[in-house]
Amino acid sequence: MPIDKVTLAILGNHARAAAESMAYTLYRTAHSTFVKETEDFTTGLTTPAGATFATPTELGATWFVCLDYGNAIRAIDGYEEGDICLTNDPYSGYVCTHPPDLHLWQPIFHRGEVVSFAVGHIHNTDVGGAVPASLSRTLTEVHQEGLRIPPMKLARRGELDRSLLDVMWTNVRMPEQNWGDLKAQIAAMRTGERKVHEMIARFGVDTFRSGVEDLLDYAEAQARRVVRSLPDGEYFFSDYIDEDAPGGHPCRIALRLEIRDDEVVLDFSGSDPQLESSINMPTGGDPRHVLLMVGLVYVLYSLDRTLPLNAGIARVARCILPEGSVVNASFPAAVGMRSLTCVRLQGVIMGAFSQAAPDRLPAGPASGGPIMNVNTVDNRTGRRVVASIDPITGGAGGNPREDGTDGSGANSSFLKNTPVEINEAEVPIRILRYGLARDSAGAGFHRGGLATELTFEAQAPGTRVTARNRDRTRFTSWGIQGGRPGAPSRFVLNPGTAREQDLANTDILTIGPGDVVHIRCGGAGGWGSPLRRPAEAVALDVARGFVSPERALADYGVVVRDGVLDADASARERERLRAEEAAADGDFYAFGASRIAYERTWNRACYAALTEVLASVPVHWRFFVKHRVFERVEAHPPDARPGDGSEVRAAFDAVVASYVQLRTVLAAGAARR
Amino acid sequence: MTDQSPPSPEVAPPYRLGVDIGGTFTDFCLLDVRSGELRSLKVLSTPQRPGEEIATGLRALEARHGVAPSEIAYFVHGTTVGVNTVLQRKGARLWLLTTEAFEDVLEVARLKMPDPYDLFSRRPAPLVPRERVAGVRERIAADGTVEVPIDEASVLAALGRARDDGADGVVVSFLHAYRNPVHEQAVRALAERVAPELDVVCSSEVWPVIREYERTVTATIAAYVRTRVADYLGSLERSLVEAGVSAAPMITKSNGGIMTVGQGKRECAQMLLSGTASGVMGASWVARQTGAEAVMSLDVGGTSADVALVVDGEPRHGVGELIGDFPLYLPTVSVSSIGEGGGSIAWVDSHGVLNVGPESAGSSPGPACYGLGGERPTITDAFVVCGFLGDSLGYGAVTLDPERAFRAVESVARALGKGVRETAEAIIRVAVSGMYLEVSKLLSRAGLDPRAMELQAFGGAGPMIAGFLARELAMARVVVPRTPGVLSAFGGLVADLKNDFVRTVYRDLEADAVGELRAVVDELAARGVAWLREEAGFAGEPVLECSADMRYRGQSFEIETPLELAWLRDGDLGRIAAAFHDEHRRLYEHADPQAAVQVVNLRLVARGVTPKPPLEHAPPGDRPPRPHAARTVWLDGTEQRALVHHRAALGAGSAIEGPAVVEQEDCTTVVLGGHRAVVDTFGNLVISRIAPPVAAGE
Repeated sequence: MPIDKVTLAILGNHARAAAESMAYTLYRTAHSTFVKETEDFTTGLTTPAGATFATPTELGATWFVCLDYGNAIRAIDGYEEGDICLTNDPYSGYVCTHPPDLHLWQPIFHRGEVVSFAVGHIHNTDVGGAVPASLSRTLTEVHQEGLRIPPMKLARRGELDRSLLDVMWTNVRMPEQNWGDLKAQIAAMRTGERKVHEMIARFGVDTFRSGVEDLLDYAEAQARRVVRSLPDGEYFFSDYIDEDAPGGHPCRIALRLEIRDDEVVLDFSGSDPQLESSINMPTGGDPRHVLLMVGLVYVLYSLDRTLPLNAGIARVARCILPEGSVVNASFPAAVGMRSLTCVRLQGVIMGAFSQAAPDRLPAGPASGGPIMNVNTVDNRTGRRVVASIDPITGGAGGNPREDGTDGSGANSSFLKNTPVEINEAEVPIRILRYGLARDSAGAGFHRGGLATELTFEAQAPGTRVTARNRDRTRFTSWGIQGGRPGAPSRFVLNPGTAREQDLANTDILTIGPGDVVHIRCGGAGGWGSPLRRPAEAVALDVARGFVSPERALADYGVVVRDGVLDADASARERERLRAEEAAADGDFYAFGASRIAYERTWNRACYAALTEVLASVPVHWRFFVKHRVFERVEAHPPDARPGDGSEVRAAFDAVVASYVQLRTVLAAGAARR
Repeated sequence: MTDQSPPSPEVAPPYRLGVDIGGTFTDFCLLDVRSGELRSLKVLSTPQRPGEEIATGLRALEARHGVAPSEIAYFVHGTTVGVNTVLQRKGARLWLLTTEAFEDVLEVARLKMPDPYDLFSRRPAPLVPRERVAGVRERIAADGTVEVPIDEASVLAALGRARDDGADGVVVSFLHAYRNPVHEQAVRALAERVAPELDVVCSSEVWPVIREYERTVTATIAAYVRTRVADYLGSLERSLVEAGVSAAPMITKSNGGIMTVGQGKRECAQMLLSGTASGVMGASWVARQTGAEAVMSLDVGGTSADVALVVDGEPRHGVGELIGDFPLYLPTVSVSSIGEGGGSIAWVDSHGVLNVGPESAGSSPGPACYGLGGERPTITDAFVVCGFLGDSLGYGAVTLDPERAFRAVESVARALGKGVRETAEAIIRVAVSGMYLEVSKLLSRAGLDPRAMELQAFGGAGPMIAGFLARELAMARVVVPRTPGVLSAFGGLVADLKNDFVRTVYRDLEADAVGELRAVVDELAARGVAWLREEAGFAGEPVLECSADMRYRGQSFEIETPLELAWLRDGDLGRIAAAFHDEHRRLYEHADPQAAVQVVNLRLVARGVTPKPPLEHAPPGDRPPRPHAARTVWLDGTEQRALVHHRAALGAGSAIEGPAVVEQEDCTTVVLGGHRAVVDTFGNLVISRIAPPVAAGE
């Protein structure tokens, strides 16, 4: 029976207090700087079945509101008081999503019965494997990404399993740090257990048991109300990761969003096959997998900030995730860097929803960017310094109310930068520039947010610069309702000199004294036609150094000379541009030039054909076949491509014809069917 | 300059007066040095005519208590004028000069957004918009050496633009100026020559620590409020003179200390949390009386509910407290907001769930029961409907209309399908559970267990709600001080002269750092003593307290570690490191004695201890005390009879069993059923459980 609605409100606050207290306990007692810096951890409480009903909102990663521990919980045979379980295997139950995340769950008993689980994870800086920090885009199977532990008991009746700990600490590079962080996680579990016992004392066990289910129902009901406020319909959106492997072809994520009354279907058919790099998402095909719910939570919460944040939200959604695709990779695909794909996918979900609610949602976000690391030697002390210097992030898309936020925002809101002064005091580099990148924002009635940019000079030979998650040099954010796309990201060595070199999506390079590195994130997209933006607002952006006079003229038709707005000249120019705009087709989305060019070949018909032919080959052939098909299609001159998908089928047939092995495989498959 | 030696009762005028100006009320707390007797009163604030409320209050003191302004030997004052300037964005028109290529420092801030789940979340617009930021060609390296000499032409150009723009002032914040302020000083010198009308604030002068955003935003806030605060203090001085108060006023500071008006006019940033901090100082004083180890103060007014932690009689300090939307990197008493106060509005959402806040009726229109146009039910209305409040508040300044409260709550009751009084109690419970959530976070962060703590309630609505919150948190007891409505004004009376000094050293704690540590601490100590003697006019024994912001190499945050001056002077690196490891262990439950330790900043507090009032003991009270009325209240889901007592009629040892209501001119205390309130020897009302906790809710 549902509990009283007043008690529900009070119980909700107590449940959140429990989750927040767990988070603060973890944060306060964690050992590694990584945890304190990136807050890449979570804590929470679940129902006995594993649905998260309480999650912290002040600390920790924002991705785990809808996490369901059910598969992990069910993987263990029987619980006793004092047990603590763990896993970090992305392929055992799909609770963990890459090996650095060590997930714990502890049963909480009341009179011999499990009434709840305290849960949470920490991203460990290293869990062993092929490379330090266990993450590299170049890894191809999960075995290279560190020690994996399937769901098992870490503690039985309060006794830690020392042999398991020995195995763990033998396999990782910084065992003391992991052990320190694990102790902080255990402390958080204990806090959660104590808080649940306090709640039971306060509310009674029956109210607690039904109350936590009611909290999920409450979030579900509110989420349904938000979804109902959106028009029914089908909306298609897709976006790309620049490369499916270093120097490779684009990786497409496609979404057909279906809104029916108070439910949504997210159909990812048409997304690329899983990749031979580590940006695959391990979802197990779970229609409400936590990684797919992140974008949905962003959208629904932004539409109504009174939405309670728990796993009840996920009940409004069902995802279709083709097996062997980048959004549902099959074992043993590498998954370490899945965050790049996740962030892009969040954008895809936002993009699709913006079609349903163009006057309530923003244009495309810049969506993250790399965290820069420098490994160099201090000329004065001779000491090697390895430091993370800054996340290179971009802003939020312009929205119906105002400009997108500059520098960070939307789904890249939680990272902090490092002060220039701290970087220079700690790391022997000279920072020449840190700030907002002029002309990086997509123009619009409400423009997108500007990107951040960083320029620095190395002081010592053999300085290694790492920029994990480089992307968006080719495919940019998008504008909506007449807004323009953001500028691409940039990574340049020695800009403005004879030695200038475009590093594009390179993620590691070695430089020497005097070499200058410039990096900037992509900008966010604009909302609404830039010609509607008041000329004074454009002139102000010029005065602020956010828009150059050249772009003010080209994008906005606004003439600013020597810092002074020429109203008459602007009016004339804008008149001319308005006529051009009216003649154009007035698409809902505005994409960057590279995407427009790419999609001249790879349009929806070709992708439909590609999806179809790749589905006909076994999972382990798909990436290979995709690359061969791309080579053949792109070898044809553009005007020789019909653009109806037939060129893809022809290319596929040619690939099949040229590999006897593939023919054998296909024949065997056909025989089985 | 005032002489801080204790005034002799025979010759000096016998009164010390603390005055705290808040948004709605101005509080007066008067101490008779001879008897230790405290008197208090409140008058309505007159923000449009600053100083007028002080004149009104002084007249009332004379009329009611026969105290002439000339008999006031010591005047200490707290004000919200600085913080309101920021909140209302009514400060100076400023320009900011930064190092060229780093002009976006205020725009980018530290990147992180306030609500990371909300795609629309944004940082507040900076106090200096980007078009008024000018880059200057200059560069100082991390070690303080000049890499690029300052380009005077670019400075002159920027100053010219600022002047042409009609700026009031200029903030100068260059990279690594905490290490070498020479370029910032050069700008000041140039400005004095070419644009003397511009008020120049240098980041290296406000709080010279490493981290450019933090230093810049702090200097910006300082410059933003300076003119208004200085004008205000000037008019305060004049109104005191006109009123016949000869004592030079002292100002309460955000760090819990006091300073002269002269310093207040120059260093306005130090008094931004003036009133808030002195309330916590008052609470600390009471905590020392009751001897509680760990205390949480709860200050609830019409528009905010704030808590602070007091451990072993000392309030917790920190840097980065929020002033409106902006963090202020100066040492301040740490105060956290846990809600919107008595004006928070109750509403029912589409799922039929009762919510309280975040919307607030504030002080205007205020709760429905004020009869000032508010129609939606607030926490205060809920207390009225439950029968806890009498017919007026705040020395009779506000008359309560229970009929309006009832009607307001009724609207929510209908949506909930409950009775009106039931709904009123539900509003209180939901509001308290929201406070419970915020307090739980705060205590988890501090690693404190509420069950061993005392809740000290003050402010107009604190004592009304404290019993409910303490019960929810299972706290040991609630203490309501004698003058809960004027505790900030009282706090100023017991505050010491206090100033903070800092220097960034940023060194590994190794042998080659000994010389610099010694030199820096000597310099800070000399500045501390000079401040006490010259700036504060203090003749007594200086107290110098030293600390360092330290961390393990690789950490990105520092822990303030108290140190002894002698360790630094003697170069006793072992004791310094041990103190840090201990502090790290205390806060985070682990330490790494093998790891390299860095000293980022050395800090020093110079304190001039002011004479403390010999507070009178409360006279013994009736046992049992005689109530002046009985009232029907709605509590724990049922109608109950509660006796109503006058606070003034209670004496030491008086004990009251709940449910009961204790009324005094400036607030109402609710004693829950199953609880007993006893007046201690100092006159504090101490409320604790007599029975096992009553199960609430369901």
